[in-house]
Amino acid sequence: MRTVFLIASNFVREQRWPILVLLLWVLVTCVLGLMADVRSDREDLLVIFQQLPIYGIAFAVFIGGAAIHNERKSRRILAVLSKGVRRGEYISGVLVGIVFALMLYGLCMGLTGTWVLGQGGFSIALLWFLMFSFLMACVLASAVAVFFSTFMTPLFATLATGLALGIPFVMMLQFGRDWAYLIPVYLLLESFVKATFSTPWQPDWRPFVVATVEIVAFWLLASWIFARRDIAVALD
Amino acid sequence: MPGVIEFVNVSKEYKSWFPSRGMVRALDDFSLQVEDGEIFGFLGPNGAGKSTAIHLAMGFMRATSGHGFMLGKGFGDAATRRRVGFLAENVALYHRPAEQLVRFYGALNGMRGSSLARRAHEVVEALGLVSDARRNVRQFSRGMLQRVGLAQALVNDPQLLILDEPTSALDPVARVSVRELLLESRKAGKTIFLSSHMLSEVELVCDRVAVVNRGRLVRLGGISELLESRQESEILARGVPPNSFPGAISSDGLVRFLVEATAQRSALQRVWALGGEIVSVNPVRRSLEELFLEVTTANSSDAIGKGTT
Repeated sequence: MRTVFLIASNFVREQRWPILVLLLWVLVTCVLGLMADVRSDREDLLVIFQQLPIYGIAFAVFIGGAAIHNERKSRRILAVLSKGVRRGEYISGVLVGIVFALMLYGLCMGLTGTWVLGQGGFSIALLWFLMFSFLMACVLASAVAVFFSTFMTPLFATLATGLALGIPFVMMLQFGRDWAYLIPVYLLLESFVKATFSTPWQPDWRPFVVATVEIVAFWLLASWIFARRDIAVALD
Repeated sequence: MPGVIEFVNVSKEYKSWFPSRGMVRALDDFSLQVEDGEIFGFLGPNGAGKSTAIHLAMGFMRATSGHGFMLGKGFGDAATRRRVGFLAENVALYHRPAEQLVRFYGALNGMRGSSLARRAHEVVEALGLVSDARRNVRQFSRGMLQRVGLAQALVNDPQLLILDEPTSALDPVARVSVRELLLESRKAGKTIFLSSHMLSEVELVCDRVAVVNRGRLVRLGGISELLESRQESEILARGVPPNSFPGAISSDGLVRFLVEATAQRSALQRVWALGGEIVSVNPVRRSLEELFLEVTTANSSDAIGKGTT
């Protein structure tokens, strides 16, 4: 467990610039909260706030999709895996690192939302539930991205992740809502995207259950594949 | 008794996704055994399969066929790697202050607390990095980076050190200190597996060497045994005319000439017959460089057969 934590904290350290850029969006929301009249502009503020999870998902997909390849390409992975580190621990460390970064983002988003939207009358309980949904969606997206990154280049891993997350949404539009449970990232974000100041807090836990199972499945699959990959070969 | 590192009929092929690019066989039915407590030199030209063999032993890749053991466990065992120190060729490290980085790698090997801090400081000091210990390695020259790489390999006080070109970027002073460090490690009972193109250094520190070429083992043996196997002797005599022996050189009244081992006895008798006196008879030692060139330019069919250790 300590090994996973070390790899995760190192991952966060290595990704500090993208994380700071991510947090910049939260800062922009704070500034808007300071400048705007919260009561009269509350709907506009909510729309801006509802965009924030998209950046989080994008971070999870892009960073997760490039995580393994970049470390192999830079050869820094060799020094790490020459220690008593199992491949599964390495994958777990990368995933936990992404989750750390997104938890920080989610926490800042939640605190900002509590302050800015709370003044406009948004339910604080609902807001933190939305933060939890957001984090779950991000963890699932990053698990899918890291899974693809174990055997694809960043470009293909990112495209494959985009397809894996987008296809259930398209299927849902065509064939019905149940298809969205295939990989329920949209379902987890839906309540966030559709939330209003009058939305009551009525949590649906089914997407969380499916997401939890899939996170574990993608994590195990990624570990299994990564354990069988040659990590010290030419990448091109 | 199993070796510290043992390759048993290991082959490794690199296949491309595109059939037109074909397949490269980096190791071909490769067998080798490294014994406990020795400094083992692993030589070969570029592309011979040295790094592939090392990466297989470290578990960075899987053999296409065959198998191997490191410290008694199959290649790739994470718990075994805790007792191993590894330095990759062209070392790549995270951008952190040097000593902090060494502590990070030590922590990955399960070390912690004051013992980790003390050991990290010790190796940083041993490699002459104390004055730069707090500087970010991003600002380091290649030679300094290599020293940090060595420090991270040594931080866990490993039983086995696997070093891929450890001195390639070092200045002569640092090279001498690394050489001393290797000799000290051997004295402490550690095994060192050293891949290097610095043949003079290998000759100085290694007990045994293996030469690989085109993925196959082409020469294996003790340094002195390999270098003296030229089957020639140099005879130094006094009181004989120089033209008595083909290729003889005369200086200060001494005549020096080379003879085949099989002709040594008759050459000595001829010196005595001419009324001369034998000053010395020495087996001719070729340099490791000569041996290396000889075996790597020879046909690959010279490979040592299956199961050679």
